[in-house]
Amino acid sequence: MLMLPELIVVATGFLLLVLDLFLTDKQRDLLVPLALAGIAGALAALVATPDHGVLLGGRFAMDPLAWWFKLTFLVAAFLTVALTAGLLENAAPEVRKLHSPGEFLTILLFNLCGMLLLASTRDLITLYVALELATIPLFLLAAWRRDALGGEAGLKYMVIGALASALLLYGFGVLYGLTGTMQLDAMPALLHADRVTLFAGALVVAGVGFKLTLVPFHMWAPEIYQGAPPPVTAWLSVASKSAGLAVLMLVLFHVFRPFLHDAGFAIALLATATMTLGNLVAIVQRNILRFMAFSAISQAGYLLLGFLGGGSVGAAAMVFYLLVYAVTNLSVFAVIILHNQQTGSTQITDYRGLSRLNPLLALAMMLGLFGLAGIPPLSGFVGKFLLFSVTAQAGYHWLVGVAAVNSTISLYYYLRIVRQMYIEAPADGAVPLKPGAMLSAALLATTAASMLLGVVPTVYEAVRTGAAVWLQTLGQ
Amino acid sequence: MGLASWLILLPFLTTLAVIAVPARRSDLIRWVALVGTGAHLILTACTTYQFWQLASPDILAAKTATLTKLYFVERIPWFKSLGVDYLVGIDGITMSMVILTSIIIFTGVLASWNVVNRTKEFFALLLLLVTGVFGVFLSFDLFLFFMFYEVAVLPMYLLIGVWGTGPKEYSAMKLTLMLMVGSAFILVGMLALYHYAGGTTFDLTQLAQYHYPVEMQRWVFPLIFIGFGVLGALYPFHTWSPDGHASAPTAVSMLHAGVLMKLGGYGALRIGVYLLPEGAQYWGLFFMALTTVNILYGAFGAIKQTDLKYFTAYSSVSHCGFVLFGVASLNLMGLKGAVLQMFSHGVMTGLFFALIGMVYGRTHTRIIPDMGGLAKVMPWLAVCFYIAGMASLGLPGFAGFVAESHVFLGGFFGNEWSDPLLTRTLTVLATLSIVVTAVYVLRGLAKVFQGPITDHHFDELTDATLTERLSTGILVLTLAVVGLAPGLLIDLIESALLPFVNRLHATGLAVAGHV
Repeated sequence: MLMLPELIVVATGFLLLVLDLFLTDKQRDLLVPLALAGIAGALAALVATPDHGVLLGGRFAMDPLAWWFKLTFLVAAFLTVALTAGLLENAAPEVRKLHSPGEFLTILLFNLCGMLLLASTRDLITLYVALELATIPLFLLAAWRRDALGGEAGLKYMVIGALASALLLYGFGVLYGLTGTMQLDAMPALLHADRVTLFAGALVVAGVGFKLTLVPFHMWAPEIYQGAPPPVTAWLSVASKSAGLAVLMLVLFHVFRPFLHDAGFAIALLATATMTLGNLVAIVQRNILRFMAFSAISQAGYLLLGFLGGGSVGAAAMVFYLLVYAVTNLSVFAVIILHNQQTGSTQITDYRGLSRLNPLLALAMMLGLFGLAGIPPLSGFVGKFLLFSVTAQAGYHWLVGVAAVNSTISLYYYLRIVRQMYIEAPADGAVPLKPGAMLSAALLATTAASMLLGVVPTVYEAVRTGAAVWLQTLGQ
Repeated sequence: MGLASWLILLPFLTTLAVIAVPARRSDLIRWVALVGTGAHLILTACTTYQFWQLASPDILAAKTATLTKLYFVERIPWFKSLGVDYLVGIDGITMSMVILTSIIIFTGVLASWNVVNRTKEFFALLLLLVTGVFGVFLSFDLFLFFMFYEVAVLPMYLLIGVWGTGPKEYSAMKLTLMLMVGSAFILVGMLALYHYAGGTTFDLTQLAQYHYPVEMQRWVFPLIFIGFGVLGALYPFHTWSPDGHASAPTAVSMLHAGVLMKLGGYGALRIGVYLLPEGAQYWGLFFMALTTVNILYGAFGAIKQTDLKYFTAYSSVSHCGFVLFGVASLNLMGLKGAVLQMFSHGVMTGLFFALIGMVYGRTHTRIIPDMGGLAKVMPWLAVCFYIAGMASLGLPGFAGFVAESHVFLGGFFGNEWSDPLLTRTLTVLATLSIVVTAVYVLRGLAKVFQGPITDHHFDELTDATLTERLSTGILVLTLAVVGLAPGLLIDLIESALLPFVNRLHATGLAVAGHV
């Protein structure tokens, strides 16, 4: 029963694929609720699943951390589908409509399944296969709109993705050569602190770095974020990042844990480069999607801080922040998707006067942006605070300073959008946006979640307890 | 729920009430805000009375205590695994700051009676900001403190950006970013305080029982002092203040200069000096020197200004310098002076900015050389302006005199960790500012209110309305009461400050032993 969520997701995917063949265009509007129901079912199954246990001779394992990752994936997928609904239905404006809703949803679900599997894999082969399943569908989704930008995005993503996979595979190969085993948990005992191990580690981190958009492996992000349809960008920014973090945590905690402490400085440098570059370049962006790409890059830098010290508190901080980031980012993307759907624009200046036209949408967007900037009492603040605390605990007080100053820089560019929405007057002839019911509900849910996660301690405490249990079982 | 929580909750509930009113009922919105802040004023008065009764028997015990005694304490565990509590309480410093804030927000709401553009959002943000301010003063858990601190700073961006004048976007952004960089410093210091003490609690009263290594104190203290100093307009991090105050609408200037800048001095005192006494000893002289620059620079800067708001903003930089100067002097007299100055400057600047707003609303200019003879047409405003000016140059009988004399005496007494010759020289230099202040205040007032009326349009101007008389009257009265009976306030704060000094001396012996 451990694999029930994955099975439900795959089954829903196939069901949609088959149904899509027999439905008329009008009836295809049913596909979105069906996909939502499937994901909700998987969520329910996940809640009922015990958070520990193994299957397939240890190749598939459930632990508290994997449980939280899967929860994040499923929640993000559910919200993404809800946000995309307006673009998939028949009534959507022809120009910006996403064609073939059945195939779109099926691919999304397969992608989701890859991520769910990824969190549970415990050996190199399944890890690699799951990672490919979590990656290749994204190439297709990125190129969904068959225009020049979309095509460029898809192709570029595929080439870069292949490069990343190659690096990762090379790293895995070296690891297998060194240890002679495929089992991740058997590796630490067989590895020695030598240059080859370091080399393997560097290759793996570089490979995963592409997914997590760590500097200097971030170059693909702006083009893909801009070229892909906004809902796909939303999914990409949350899902791809979560999957990347899941892999990095698997590899660093399961395989390289003995060396994690010594790698502190390298991690600190990588984090510094990632957040600083992401933040500085975000300042000059005019396109909201490119802007969100750089914002996402900088967020990856903060996430990385959780690896410092290599303890369960850091792991908990990362998982909690990932959850917070997912809901907060999706609430910002909800407004971006809606705005793009109804105005066709992706320019930041076209958000001017939004607070006069749609006060509630503007408020939600502002709260989302403040959440990303880490302003209390939003959960983004607590999440960042936890990561900074881990950094300070590991003794990197200077890095806390760097990260905190980076937060201030990020506040500058998030405030630029707030300025457009609140201080500037609306453009002549601008009309209020009309959000659909499903998008409104999703936006309300994400906004509420991004506030509550910061005020109600239950979720963090649960993640923290889970992470402590997880690290203990790893130690044995 | 106790009084301390209600003091935070009431402005928040008022915010929600303002949000609940439909936007077109702007009259109702004003009244809701006024009733809410008025109720808060009454609540504050009741709390002060009760506090006074509870605390006055304890003054003898405070003479030897090294931990501040809190009253009305409420503690609810929050993030248990981190050791974060919802912990609020009141001591004498907190009490005096709550009184100040409550007065300023009430008069501030009165002073913004004629805000017509997007009234609802204005009052909601104003009240949200003040919720944050009360939260900072009342919370004794560092996490909670920091959270409220940012809530207090951020609404300022929109308040200035939307309702401000002049280069408002620039000023708003500059202010927000500089204050946030300050809070980045504080965050580093705060996490160091937390983890050095074992990483189990953010409770200020428990952290105070932990003796931090001297080396650590020496690098953390300047971070905390400068971090809060940015908000307290510490030279050279004060540059946000003139621009910000000049661009801000009246009530926001009042609240910002009157209350928000006090958070800087308060934080430097409460977290810096209290938790890191040895760091304070090490850096005391340095910061005394820096704040002397503050005091003189602000005063000389004010002479050159022709815009009334810039004029007051520079004078604020100078006066806030007294607060930090008092904190850095590290003796009872100086610390008392710092807290008194926070109070008196808060009221005085609140009055100044309220009056400037009222004059500007009539003349549509803030340029001093363009005005003249206004006392003839608006006697009430002129008299209030004179009183604020006199208080600002330290005339006995007003709160400013009490505060500044304490600060100067404190600076002159010095402390055993700094060279007395240097502290005395710095104090003498700082006292020069009184002369400079007199020059700019008197010159400015004379130009604006005395002499012939320079513009025939001014003949038709009217004096203060009822709401304006009420708001300025309350502030003038407060200045006079504290000036004539400073004992009321000193009694409140002295017992709270004694432990600060005792802590400094308790560790001072240990340090002297090393040397």
